[in-house]
Amino acid sequence: MVGLIGRLWNLQYKSIVKEASGKTLAVAKFFCILHVTNTYLCTFALAYGPSMIPTFNLTGDMFLAERLSIKFGKVGPGDIVLLRSPESPRKVMAKRLLGLESHSVTYVVDPMNSDRCDTIVVPKGHVWVEGDNIYNSRDSRQFGPVPYSLLEGKVFCKIWPPKEFGSLMKSGMKDPDL
Amino acid sequence: MRLLSYMGQWKSAAKEVLDRTAIVAKFLCLLHVTNNYLCSPTLVYGPSMLPTLNLTGDVVLAEHVSHRIGKVGTGDVVLVRSPVDPRRILTKRVVGMEGDTVSFYVDPMYSQTTVVPKGHVWIQGDNTYASSDSRHFGSVPYGLIQGKVFFRVWPPDGFGTLEQ
Repeated sequence: MVGLIGRLWNLQYKSIVKEASGKTLAVAKFFCILHVTNTYLCTFALAYGPSMIPTFNLTGDMFLAERLSIKFGKVGPGDIVLLRSPESPRKVMAKRLLGLESHSVTYVVDPMNSDRCDTIVVPKGHVWVEGDNIYNSRDSRQFGPVPYSLLEGKVFCKIWPPKEFGSLMKSGMKDPDL
Repeated sequence: MRLLSYMGQWKSAAKEVLDRTAIVAKFLCLLHVTNNYLCSPTLVYGPSMLPTLNLTGDVVLAEHVSHRIGKVGTGDVVLVRSPVDPRRILTKRVVGMEGDTVSFYVDPMYSQTTVVPKGHVWIQGDNTYASSDSRHFGSVPYGLIQGKVFFRVWPPDGFGTLEQ
């Protein structure tokens, strides 16, 4: 009698475990696909801070960034890129790319206090990034050209707030020839 | 009649091909995840890490967990993406972390001292005479570190952990 109840309990337990592991596997597969898409195709990110006003708001905008252009070298001046900060390796920031390697970039050194401009040739394997709001942005003017491998994605579409939904075209960039 | 049976056969063959492909794809996914986030074997070659690593090539195991949790320190042999050529990965030793003062010889009589800036590391090859490293291209951002080498697999007489 006890043995029968024991066998029935085993049966139920087994089917519960089987169903649970089946569902967990399905969830794991979904997260895997999500992770692969995020890392190699397209991801969305939230950026906040004053350095990309007026393109991005102070309080935070959500946008889509794709990862293929970086891997195939199809970024150019005028694109908004996500890059890992060379000063804090865990921070990812969004800035505008202004110069690739061997480009000559002219920038205003300290726009709050003077109009002095400087020109630099971007070294091999590096890029020059600047925020759209040069008055309040920590970018290549402070930490120098950034190695190309620190680039993580190219921003192509803003998705939040809804009234600013749309692709971010190059026409919004400031004149790189200053 | 024959057409229907051919279609049936074709369907079952296609299903079997799809199943096999799915298994292969799952295996490749698992391999890729392990390679990128856990541990991967790498072939390293070149003279810049003599005598630690051979000229003609060693297969080493590199783990990809330490650099994500900030456990890379001075004396570690690391895989670093080259700041000069984004497609190349270098194998060098970390000689200084951020804030450290590093002295190096520009030429045999003249030495220079620099402080490693925040968020960067100073890497040098063990064979300073034939290595292009931080002495030439400066400190390297920590974000370029891809993994830490901890074990050598080939050649067999070098099997084991790397000496300091």
